[in-house]
Amino acid sequence: MAISVVMPALEMAQETGKLLAWRKKEGESVRKGEPLLEIETDKAVVEVEAPGDGLLAGVSAEVGAVIPVGETIAWLVAPGEKPPAKARTAVSARRAMGGAAQTAVGAQATVAAKTAVARIAPQISPKARRRAKELRIDIALVPGTGPDGVITAEDVQKFADAKAGAGAVAAQATASGVEPPSPVARLMAERTTQSWTNVPHFFLVREADAGELIAAQRRLGEEAKKSQKSAPTITDLLIALLARALARHPRMNASWAGESIRSNTEVNISVAIAVKDGVVSAVIPKADTLKIAEISALRRELTERARAGRLRPADITGGTFTLSNLGMYQVDAFSAIITPPQAAVLAVGAISERVVAVEGRPVVRPMMTMTLSSDHRVVDGARAAEFLNDLAEAVREPMKLP
Amino acid sequence: MPEMAVRELTFAHAVREALAEEMRRDSRVCIFGEDVAEAGTPFKVLSGLVEEFGRERVLDTPISEAGFTGMGVGAAMTGLRPVVDIMFGDFLTLTMDQLVNQAAKVHYMSGGTWKVPMVLRTTLGATRRSAAQHSQSLHAWLSHVPGLKVAMPSTPYDAKGLLKTAIRDDNPVVFFEDKMMYKLKGPVPEQEYTIPFGVADMKREGEDITIVATSSMVQVALGAAECLEKIGVSAEVIDPRTTWPLDEKTLVESAKKTSRAIVVDEGYGRYGVTGEIASVIAEGAFYSLDAPVKRMGAMHVPIPFSPPLEDVTVPTEQTVFEAARAMCGKG
Repeated sequence: MAISVVMPALEMAQETGKLLAWRKKEGESVRKGEPLLEIETDKAVVEVEAPGDGLLAGVSAEVGAVIPVGETIAWLVAPGEKPPAKARTAVSARRAMGGAAQTAVGAQATVAAKTAVARIAPQISPKARRRAKELRIDIALVPGTGPDGVITAEDVQKFADAKAGAGAVAAQATASGVEPPSPVARLMAERTTQSWTNVPHFFLVREADAGELIAAQRRLGEEAKKSQKSAPTITDLLIALLARALARHPRMNASWAGESIRSNTEVNISVAIAVKDGVVSAVIPKADTLKIAEISALRRELTERARAGRLRPADITGGTFTLSNLGMYQVDAFSAIITPPQAAVLAVGAISERVVAVEGRPVVRPMMTMTLSSDHRVVDGARAAEFLNDLAEAVREPMKLP
Repeated sequence: MPEMAVRELTFAHAVREALAEEMRRDSRVCIFGEDVAEAGTPFKVLSGLVEEFGRERVLDTPISEAGFTGMGVGAAMTGLRPVVDIMFGDFLTLTMDQLVNQAAKVHYMSGGTWKVPMVLRTTLGATRRSAAQHSQSLHAWLSHVPGLKVAMPSTPYDAKGLLKTAIRDDNPVVFFEDKMMYKLKGPVPEQEYTIPFGVADMKREGEDITIVATSSMVQVALGAAECLEKIGVSAEVIDPRTTWPLDEKTLVESAKKTSRAIVVDEGYGRYGVTGEIASVIAEGAFYSLDAPVKRMGAMHVPIPFSPPLEDVTVPTEQTVFEAARAMCGKG
């Protein structure tokens, strides 16, 4: 039986995905799990695996097209079989979350489906929604000017016109040395602007003594060496400590769901990874239950894939909290921008020797500054402080880590 | 041939002319009601009819709405085509059994053997300082009942054309006239014409918003549309003319064209005509709407006698203008 290939929904607010490339030609044989196409989502450029075995047929989406999630864009058929005459029309984005994501993404998608209870939908008129679909416009990007900020059909039209105009401008600009941003860079620009303008951030800063953390890394590194594995990094240890602290503070692991707070059953840590032209976040799922060695191996694999531009949908979905470590760049401290609908992000600076007072005496200790950015709609200062305090204590005594 | 100037009649005159013409055309047409003969009704709508057609056909009744409405139903069943006059729409309460359980049901329950070709003319509308028992607009009640047709003219032209259709209809028709509109003048051609039921009329063409208005509210909507034009909003005014049968197609098409709709009716907003029409538009034009359909009707209060209070209980040019402006995002 023919298997449909659909535009997967990888994010709760995702309405559309852009098709960047087909990895297989029409008529070519495909095995389940093989990279089939490359799409650009709200977050990153990802590879989508084939949902089954078969010959690629009935390809109805061209490279560059922006396609509503859940829409069938091709079929995998048995030799001699014809693809169904008419591709099923798009199911609603909300329904596509469960169905489409499961078909295309597999096991990891269940994480996305579970946490996708409510999506943050902008207020939009029925006409505007229809027009946006017709014009293939992501409504999350359209500013609303109607009463109470509702997106009207006129807003959608203006956005479409501006986009068309911008395309022309961009084409002209290239000649004069101004280049349009790469997909990753453009997404980064859009998403950070959206978060920074919509999410009420507040920041808590905490210094932690990293002496024992370094000792633990050394100990675990030696153990890894014995079993001929790569040594875990400070980031790996922080992922483990952070995930365990989040399990004790579920509110920090919750999400803002438009008008309510949604708690997440799993602790999935998004790790910010610098790539050539921007930053992407890869997810370590259920990090609170993983051993350091497992976290380390997974994080390494994700980093390699991210830098090679080979992240898969499952690699970027379902994160509930983000860790961003710029320690390797010798940054002392910084504040990070939250990735909605996550409620917080932890920004970690370099571990450096500083003079601190210990029992009334100045001593030199390796210190590390952690800055917690939180969404004030989900957590308040006191709650966030309790979490950060707990985390700082865990950093000070990491020896219990498995 | 030089173009003939169309003559202008008042709303009351147009109603009277329709009655007179139908009474001349069909000897079965007769009038019952309080003060319909020499007095010509308190609104002087029927002046002169008793003189032409005599007391046999223009019959003053006792103050007993239930009684003479029942008499109308019986007369209609047995061969006449009576036009029953209920002075104030508020008194419809007294006629309800005759209208709802008898007139509306007889044709159906007799398997088509009996017909009730009766017209019940009555009034609606506030702002006449007539207090709570003489100012209501209760047409929604009758529009709710299968077996009754409900006409609500908004101009002298429509009044004449619709009333002639009502009299010729073999079904019971309730005919609502806005008591504040009797002196309104408008073009009414000399030549014979009728207006079919269930055909809405575009009173003004526009692009940005549809204002569906009935009876008394049509003039209000047209006034609001003129104000809207000054701020660059082009309003279309649609008058359904009959609430049943209802021209759903025209309503939906106009809303699809403009993407926005306000429904204005002088009846109570709660469970009223506005709700029904708004629902028709929402169902038919949903994917073309840029805003929720707005309803504007009388406040959910007894109509006050106090003039300053009475004036704010019903939609006005100003309130319709404000609502339309907000809906179009013009402040």
